[in-house]
Amino acid sequence: MNWPRALLTDSGGFQMVSLLHLADITEKGVTFQSPVDGKPMLLTPEESIQIQNRIGADIIMALDDVVKTTITGPRIEEAMYHTLRWIDRCIAAHERPHEQNLFGIVQGGLDPVLRDICVRGLVDRNLPGYAIGGLAGGESKDSFWRVVAQCTAALPEDKPRYVMGVGYPLDIVVCSALGADMYDCVYPTRTARFGTALVPEGVLKLKHNAMADDTRPIDPTCACMVCRTYSRAYIHCLVTKDAMGSQLLSYHNLYYMMKLSRDLHTSIIEGRFPEFVCNFLRIMFPKGDVPEWVCNAMEVAGIDISSCCSPFSSSQD
Amino acid sequence: MALRFEILGRFNRARAAQLTLPHFVCQTPLFMPVGTQGTIKGLATNQLEEIGCQIILGNTYHLALRPTSELIDELGGLHQFMNWPRALLTDSGGFQMVSLLHLADITEKGVTFQSPVDGKPMLLTPEESIQIQNRIGADIIMALDDVVKTTITGPRIEEAMYHTLRWIDRCIAAHERPHEQNLFGIVQGGLDPVLRDICVRGLVDRNLPGYAIGGLAGGESKDSFWRVVAQCTAALPEDKPRYVMGVGYPLDIVVCSALGADMYDCVYPTRTARFGTALVPEGVLKLKHNAMADDTRPIDPTCACMVCRTYSRAYIHCLVTKDAMGSQLLSYHNLYYMMKLSRDLHTSIIEGRFPEFVCNFLRIMFPKGDVPEWVCNAMEVAGIDISSCCSPFSSSQD
Repeated sequence: MNWPRALLTDSGGFQMVSLLHLADITEKGVTFQSPVDGKPMLLTPEESIQIQNRIGADIIMALDDVVKTTITGPRIEEAMYHTLRWIDRCIAAHERPHEQNLFGIVQGGLDPVLRDICVRGLVDRNLPGYAIGGLAGGESKDSFWRVVAQCTAALPEDKPRYVMGVGYPLDIVVCSALGADMYDCVYPTRTARFGTALVPEGVLKLKHNAMADDTRPIDPTCACMVCRTYSRAYIHCLVTKDAMGSQLLSYHNLYYMMKLSRDLHTSIIEGRFPEFVCNFLRIMFPKGDVPEWVCNAMEVAGIDISSCCSPFSSSQD
Repeated sequence: MALRFEILGRFNRARAAQLTLPHFVCQTPLFMPVGTQGTIKGLATNQLEEIGCQIILGNTYHLALRPTSELIDELGGLHQFMNWPRALLTDSGGFQMVSLLHLADITEKGVTFQSPVDGKPMLLTPEESIQIQNRIGADIIMALDDVVKTTITGPRIEEAMYHTLRWIDRCIAAHERPHEQNLFGIVQGGLDPVLRDICVRGLVDRNLPGYAIGGLAGGESKDSFWRVVAQCTAALPEDKPRYVMGVGYPLDIVVCSALGADMYDCVYPTRTARFGTALVPEGVLKLKHNAMADDTRPIDPTCACMVCRTYSRAYIHCLVTKDAMGSQLLSYHNLYYMMKLSRDLHTSIIEGRFPEFVCNFLRIMFPKGDVPEWVCNAMEVAGIDISSCCSPFSSSQD
């Protein structure tokens, strides 16, 4: 790739269960139907780590058994214990621990007891870092933040915490307030391909007719190449008929996310994190209708956002 | 007239010139990428500047459909709309109509076609084409011509040539911005030297700022192609730019430049990129080929572009088989290649080493000396000695 900065690879497990037919989980690993010739294949913890050893990323992820948060029943517990037993196999198979950092992934669905068992099991293995997995699926925002809060409270202070599959800028701000450090998501680039730009107010839909003669940049406060060069009218014209539109929006959206990351880091270091959060929320919710789940999470995080909430907040997700 | 054309160097018929347009000072010979609807597929404005692009072609037909010439005008013209600070050229809209639409019918009035929006019959007249182009605001605008495929025969060719001549007067009359936009006439006449001659003389009489050689780059043989270009460049005025529309392959551009043409446009470099093909001095490199999968060299080790300095063939092979990024990187490289070819043609003529440049170009492209016969014939007429790169027994291939 000729990429001089850091790389992280996932285990391969998630794509398999989400993309392939006949994905079946056993003690051995994930069996699936090969997309090349349809034959049954097996991805084991050992195999996942070997593949990641060859790819050579700075951070590699353990093969976990991830279930949708919308399901219930014994499968959640089974998956959590698979994850714990597989981490030892991952550790044993890892041939490059001095060059690549193996992160464990906390599973357990929305069940605090299962999550707690998983956290403690992974922490016992003294890994370089920990991910909070199994979220960013169909669960309610209220359930989401509570699991993140529980995990960040229980995971070691001195190691990075990575919330997988997150996400929306608002979710990132909340999770950071609760003590998480790293995030990943296809959202910014995927939504770009639908003609949607990320802006401080939320989103801007460039395909909308109102954009056709709007000569402002996507975000007048944004310093990225796209906002410095092109108008909404021009991008509107592109997104409705040319791949270039998606590209320019992808560029802007990723710039937005990188800036959000920098702003979070800097505002915490400079001792003005609560002000940053309030300003962020004020622009996104100018009528003060900050969602209840955000208010609850910020309360647990100890951040006073009363100045940006209207007196009667409704319970919306 | 809104341009200045100053010849800075020559070799026989070939010229290197400075073409001063309202938005940019260009060096010719030059290649214009085609930016169909105000954008080159895969490259942002800053990248176009990076690779040295001087002038871009916009398709009037696509722009008139979306976002419409009225909106472009309202927003300050296409330059401002795209935020492209250099030069622009728009075509007349006629070609896309006959090639893309059903029921395109040509009459004395203009081109009737079926609206792609609602299927209703519509008419593009010379007046309408010029008005649309006046709104778009490009530095160079093209007359509406009646273009027929070079593969047909019969009275249609003559009819089309005379339409073109009668329509040029209507274009001139309709043109409201002659001090800001240069109206080029287009020579038609198929492969018939008599018709081509009538058309050239008719257009030259109108004393236009520049002239295009149209109707080629269709299905005609290369032998017919170069002869029409040679005839037209010999007959067109020395002191005005000559634009061969729809060309094209690097080899064709070198030959046409040797014969005295100055400007070119083609979708080929970007379109072939989208099929995974890169332009290289040896010809083409097909990145989808299995052999590329573990080839760690850049596309072209002699190329200084961002893509060749950064990525290997193996990486691009991986992309072209499954990601739009592959096409983009190849588009970037291919356009860089065309811009460099333009610069090399200009500079080699000015520095008095054009024949050496041509020989070197042909030697790399035809290492066995199998330079096609049509190229040899054209170079003979151009007065360029390429015997050092032709094998003694050249076969007649196109």
